[in-house]
Amino acid sequence: MTGEGWWWRAAARVGGAVAVLVTVATLAFVALQFIPGDPAEAALGGPGSQASAAALEAARAEFGLDRPILTQYFDFMWRLLRGDLGVSYAQRIPVSEVLGNAIGPTLLLTFTALLLAWALALVSVVIASGHSRRARSVASALDLTAAAMPNFWLASLLVLLFASVLGWFPPVSTGGFSGIVLPALALAIPTAGFLAQVCRAGVDAARTAPFIESARARGETELGIRVRHVMRHGLVPGLNLTAWALGSLLGGAAVIEVIFARPGLGRTLVTGVLGRDVPVVLGVVLFSACAYVVVALVTDLVISRVDPRTESRLAQAVPRA
Amino acid sequence: MPRHDRLPQRNGFSAGEWIALAALGVLVACALAPALLAPVPPLAVNPAEAFTPPSLTHPFGTDDSGRDVLSRVIFGARDSLVIGAVATLLGLAAGIALGALAGGSRGRLLAPVRFIADRVIEALFAFPGLLLALLLITVWGPGTASIVVAVAISTAPGYARMVRGGVRQALGSGPVEAARLQGDRAARVWATLVLPEAMRPVLVLATLGVGHAVVLAAALGFLGLGSPPPAPEWGAMLNSGRPYLTKAWWITFFPGAMILAVGIATTVIGRALERERRFA
Amino acid sequence: MKPTSARTPRKTAWATGLTAVALVLPLAACSTGDGTPTSDEPRTHLVYATGDGEPSCLDPHVGGNFPQALLATQVLESLVALDTEGTIVPWLASSWTVSDDGLTWEFTLRDGATFSDGTPVDAEAVKVNIEHLQDPDTGSSTGYLAVRQVAAAEVVAADVVRFTLTRPDAALLESLAQPWVAMQSPAGIARGMDENCLAPIGSGPFIIDEWVKQDRIELVRNAEYTTSPDGIGAPDAAAAETLTWRFIPDATARFAALEAGQVDIIDNPLPEQITVAENSEDLAHLDAPRPGASNRIELNTSTVPFDDQRVREAFIASANVDAGLETLFEGWAPRSTSALSSREPLAVQSPEAYVTDPELANALLDEAGWTERDDDGIRTKDGQRLTARFPVTGAQSTQAEQALFEQIQAGAREVGFDVQITLLDLSSWYGALGAYEYEMVSAPYTKIGPDVLRFLYHSDATVPAPSGYFANNAQVKDPELDALLDTIGTSMDVEERDAAARAAQEWIANASIILPIYDQQNHFLYRGDLSEFRALPTVNTPWLGTVIAG
Repeated sequence: MTGEGWWWRAAARVGGAVAVLVTVATLAFVALQFIPGDPAEAALGGPGSQASAAALEAARAEFGLDRPILTQYFDFMWRLLRGDLGVSYAQRIPVSEVLGNAIGPTLLLTFTALLLAWALALVSVVIASGHSRRARSVASALDLTAAAMPNFWLASLLVLLFASVLGWFPPVSTGGFSGIVLPALALAIPTAGFLAQVCRAGVDAARTAPFIESARARGETELGIRVRHVMRHGLVPGLNLTAWALGSLLGGAAVIEVIFARPGLGRTLVTGVLGRDVPVVLGVVLFSACAYVVVALVTDLVISRVDPRTESRLAQAVPRA
Repeated sequence: MPRHDRLPQRNGFSAGEWIALAALGVLVACALAPALLAPVPPLAVNPAEAFTPPSLTHPFGTDDSGRDVLSRVIFGARDSLVIGAVATLLGLAAGIALGALAGGSRGRLLAPVRFIADRVIEALFAFPGLLLALLLITVWGPGTASIVVAVAISTAPGYARMVRGGVRQALGSGPVEAARLQGDRAARVWATLVLPEAMRPVLVLATLGVGHAVVLAAALGFLGLGSPPPAPEWGAMLNSGRPYLTKAWWITFFPGAMILAVGIATTVIGRALERERRFA
Repeated sequence: MKPTSARTPRKTAWATGLTAVALVLPLAACSTGDGTPTSDEPRTHLVYATGDGEPSCLDPHVGGNFPQALLATQVLESLVALDTEGTIVPWLASSWTVSDDGLTWEFTLRDGATFSDGTPVDAEAVKVNIEHLQDPDTGSSTGYLAVRQVAAAEVVAADVVRFTLTRPDAALLESLAQPWVAMQSPAGIARGMDENCLAPIGSGPFIIDEWVKQDRIELVRNAEYTTSPDGIGAPDAAAAETLTWRFIPDATARFAALEAGQVDIIDNPLPEQITVAENSEDLAHLDAPRPGASNRIELNTSTVPFDDQRVREAFIASANVDAGLETLFEGWAPRSTSALSSREPLAVQSPEAYVTDPELANALLDEAGWTERDDDGIRTKDGQRLTARFPVTGAQSTQAEQALFEQIQAGAREVGFDVQITLLDLSSWYGALGAYEYEMVSAPYTKIGPDVLRFLYHSDATVPAPSGYFANNAQVKDPELDALLDTIGTSMDVEERDAAARAAQEWIANASIILPIYDQQNHFLYRGDLSEFRALPTVNTPWLGTVIAG
């Protein structure tokens, strides 16, 4: 793959990503049309807002709810482009402001969890990368269990063990690093389980590849082979999953932030869902989807630059986040 | 030199896989005939016996209203597994339709269809599963029906992707070319060659998908968006046990352990099916 | 050549693992920084965690709900207050007079009272506040209703303000005591609603410093504070200097934070948490039921089946509330058999009107004609099932209360009722009520004094406000009851009013239109090393101005 060829392909990928972003926004608009009841009433805060007939008329005019649907769609897209996500029903401030307040703690939690997940996954793969079939089986079973664990159950058990019984960590996050350990662990362990499974599959597959045999025949040390070829072919499929892992962690953050009373996008989202605050819910979900698209694009570009062979074919094996 | 690390080539299931199959069988039995298996009705309130730890009379203990946790877990299997199965079936149907549309639209005439279908699949995939489900529940309101459809739509893109790839591959394969040259009608080609070939890997994914659907539905129940009280849904039971965690850990522990068991069982069986398929 | 052993990568694994552990352990040491006191000096920083929702606007004039009242108590003060006996005592107003016809009130304001921005608490300030409440642009609900009878507020002298009423209001003082009618600095109001919502300026013991939305509010002590209400002393020099007001909606997390010392005081504890606190040496419990109405289930008397008194009585007889309260609330919520809170001096308990008797219930239903049963065991009459829709919202009912409703549902089922509980979000719940889609509902109402009965059971209260809201969920329209309630609202004769209040409660008990459950629960749990923590008796909001921590 020559340099110039890569640039063209990169441009095509970016174009594809933009198309996906547009589709994401369109799907969100379609979902909005299914909200039952009068949209003007919903815009004023739902059936309980008890708006007068005059207020409903005013809302209809202001939000253009009596215009044809295509006009409303373009209005919606144009507002999105300018960063206008509407106003929260409950907090009466722009949704972009709500997101801005909440995004910092969530990104901190998500990235901490991602790092922890990677660390745990690598430890698991490396420990069991020896020749012992038994060690690999045990590690494989552990990964499988970890990946299947519901994170809200795990979080409760972590709180019970480490906060209530042992008292090592605080049960609720009130600032300070110790408050982030349990929530990050609860998020990281299931993700680590899955990352480890994928890495190990890649490692196992590469183990018997022809180039490894020829490397052995050339007299390279086992250590050299392991580090260079095996790890690399376990890491690349794992890196492909970064976008998926981010999406999965953002989803998990919703439940974890509630359990640990951490401020952030997740708690904001759940409060919004329970209070039927549509603009906030839409804002958080759109943000997460866009974050996924951008991260997937970036990792795709990086990997295709580094190793053109392992393209997003591997992403096909990924389950839903 | 001995080669320690050949890929295992065995037919049939291992011991672990039989156990997983048996466990899943028990859970399905719980879902189909809970009244036969549960010792007590799941809604039987008995305030005098609240918070009793696991014992012979109450193997999983009792909850804050004195209800037997084992019975509630057994009845909860019906809620959770049915939601998981129905949501997976609906998701499969939607995913297969979308994937076939994307994969089967070839040529310049159908390029816009292919383009749009591809983008819709990727866009749906970009929403994290739980968040998409939460958005749909905000739109439709909480309840079992909303959860089923929300989970179905969340899981559909995964299947769509796989079907799309399978269809494309099948359409370019030898037997299909031959059938075309022979003059077979398109419908026959699709029905006998393309779809069966494309769907085989998807069915394995669907087995894993049931596990994912159950966890997703439980997460929604945990947040209080599922069946109204006092329905014995695993996620809701888990959440209602949280205030009593230090006093009565069993109320939270056992429903969660069931969810974990479903996840492990479906993963193990799914892997075994995939292995069988590859070596068949 | 033999391959080198695989020990080297294993060593790497162990190294990685040990490094990870080594990184994590010091973080555990950081946890001691979270709140556990290590010295004998009182802590200067106080943390309060509330389970009530985060208000959208901190100015209690806008809207008017309990979460706003909780916070406003620390920052804003009212003209008068209630003491622990239920008597009105002076606060920002030092004395008052009322004319014989009850239409003119004059309030003399306290000497030297100022808002934290230096503006004096004078007659002009009071006038501005009343006008702010009555201005439709403010969007006040609770405060607006409270001062509805006030036609105008005029400045008579610098420290004397005159209220002219449209008709006599026997409950005016109780209304003025509420936090939703608290006095704010006119300069603060003049900044406009956006800014005033973020940080209203009052004369209270704390000043709002910063509001981090969806997380917490930071407050600092008002150094110039001089206007403590009667019965509560001025803050000691050792009282807390700064206050963090945290929003923690999850009950388990909130209590866990209290136990771990990360938080000093919490509200809305679960019953079993109260038990733990009572049995613990580190924690203490304050029980402060809210005034106004008790928590009751109201039966919609305007429609089948509860338009028939026998069916209402049957439902009441089928419910075993006491047993549910004992197990679900662990004894921390005593049974109420009155429409009024036990905090009200005029509350009349009627235990004989609310006895559990399933046999009686069955007999009454048979007598009322609901004699057939369908396959599920639900009674039917002329092909119609004995159904009662019961919308419930998590925003008004705790988990334990929802479980209690389920038990009542089960008891009703035994005699053949089909009670359908639907769990809704707050907005949809209001919608269901506004659309009359209910046969029974539990809707709390906080208002001081027996006048709350007029708000809840007068026929006027069945007329929806422009917003669609009405408070008379039982849909009672009885002239005899109306007359009693009017007396409560307008009679300036104390004896006449008290007699009417008692008679009204008897009428309600005899008509079987409500099933009272308990007082509006209002419990606080706090660290045992706190002193001078109390509730301000008016609506029993927490008074944090005098708290000494440690």
